[in-house]
Amino acid sequence: MSGRKHTIIIRIEISTLTGRDGKINRRKMDRLAMVLTNLHNSGKNVLIVSSGAIVLGSDKLKLQQLPENPVDMQAVAAVGQAELMRWYQNFFDDYNQIVAQVLLTSDIISYPERVENTRNTFKTLLNMNIIPIINENDAVSTADIEIDDNYPLALIVAKIARADFIIIKMELNGKYMILPRNCNKGIVVDGEMELQEKTDALCMLTIPDSQREKEGFPHSIGEIMF
Amino acid sequence: MIDALNMKTREALKNKKRIVVKIGTSSLSYPNGRMNFHSIEKLAYVLSALRHRGIKVILVTSGAIGVGAGRLGLTEKPHDLSRKQALAAVGQAELMRIYQKFFEEYNQIIAQVLLTKDVVNISSRNVHAKRTLNKLMDMEIIPIINENDTIATYEIEFGDNDSLSAIVASLVKAELLIMLSDIDGLYSADPRTESTGEIIHTVKEITPELERLATGSGSSFSTGGMVTKIAAAKMCLQEGIDCIITSGSDPAVIFELLEGKEIGTYFAVSKETIINHG
Repeated sequence: MSGRKHTIIIRIEISTLTGRDGKINRRKMDRLAMVLTNLHNSGKNVLIVSSGAIVLGSDKLKLQQLPENPVDMQAVAAVGQAELMRWYQNFFDDYNQIVAQVLLTSDIISYPERVENTRNTFKTLLNMNIIPIINENDAVSTADIEIDDNYPLALIVAKIARADFIIIKMELNGKYMILPRNCNKGIVVDGEMELQEKTDALCMLTIPDSQREKEGFPHSIGEIMF
Repeated sequence: MIDALNMKTREALKNKKRIVVKIGTSSLSYPNGRMNFHSIEKLAYVLSALRHRGIKVILVTSGAIGVGAGRLGLTEKPHDLSRKQALAAVGQAELMRIYQKFFEEYNQIIAQVLLTKDVVNISSRNVHAKRTLNKLMDMEIIPIINENDTIATYEIEFGDNDSLSAIVASLVKAELLIMLSDIDGLYSADPRTESTGEIIHTVKEITPELERLATGSGSSFSTGGMVTKIAAAKMCLQEGIDCIITSGSDPAVIFELLEGKEIGTYFAVSKETIINHG
């Protein structure tokens, strides 16, 4: 979306970064911050779509279980979003990478002016070598809060940022799946080293195209072929 | 006589249980643009103390762009909108990290709520925002509110969150809005150019004359944002919410205000206002 760089959306579910106790796993978080900073350092536009506000808010408030009704979920998310960003900032700081917080509501697509504003903000952030971290603005969102699936938000961000790839950190095994635009077959790689190498290879094969408006990504995780 | 009247009016401030505090950029940073941690620490202390007294508090904060500029080592703030928005996105996260650190010292949990001004216009969003804020206050959490600058651009250009703070106060039916600014109140004339200028301690009605005072002939007088503050105060009065404008150089001033001390400009809801609008 900026210059002739490839644009990559990384979709993170917080469960891929937490241990069984629901707390952040420092090693996983550190490895993620490392590889994403490095993808950026290697000349790609990187944007993160991350969930985690409710899980981290519940932990902060020492709740025994995750909230279930929408009001509680929104309140807990408002506490947890600040926590989530704090974690990201702390880990990215180690790699001298500055991150920014962008909160969107998924109805943004119906407001062209907001889409344009957001696209400009993304562009400016990326030009300033900052990695945007995007989440749903749960506190005011009128859509149902999805604890488990932020893939729809990742799709919206991919559309706004005109992404070439979506990378999904997989819940099942912590591996990464790369989804190139206009290809419903995901490419699964094992760890951070392989993610960098495979992404580099894919970028060599394709020309970044920031002009395309078409979506070009599977509409749901279920549509992805392995 | 007037003093006695004012004293009586300010008695009402001792019983406020639902307060919105708005703090401007100038109270959070030094003139050189660097963070004023002393002031932030004091703010965290005062608001936590109010919470512990059982008062429900919401903080409306500015400062994200300044913090973002500092984070990136910029020596001056950018002028173009998209760079301001980008700095706000960096600075908002950083600002919340700073607030978290200081509020944790007082064992006070905070939450971040980013709003756009359309919360008042889009009724479904209004309901959700109101519900979330009320729920947070019930949970003894202090919500910290800012404009969602990435998608909205009003406050970033005009208001420094003055109007947002009035919208929030009305949304949660607050009893009092305290606007901490770089001026200690509304003056009858610009004190820097006219020796007759005196602080107006009590305002019961916002007249066109008063609004003219805010725009003032001296242009430097209005750059402190008195116009947007008066507009915010007007909105509060219409909603039956008391409002105070005072200097934020020492946030502990909030304690004194709530003791009824005559500091700053107090926009007092009169009985007539309540009958007309309440």
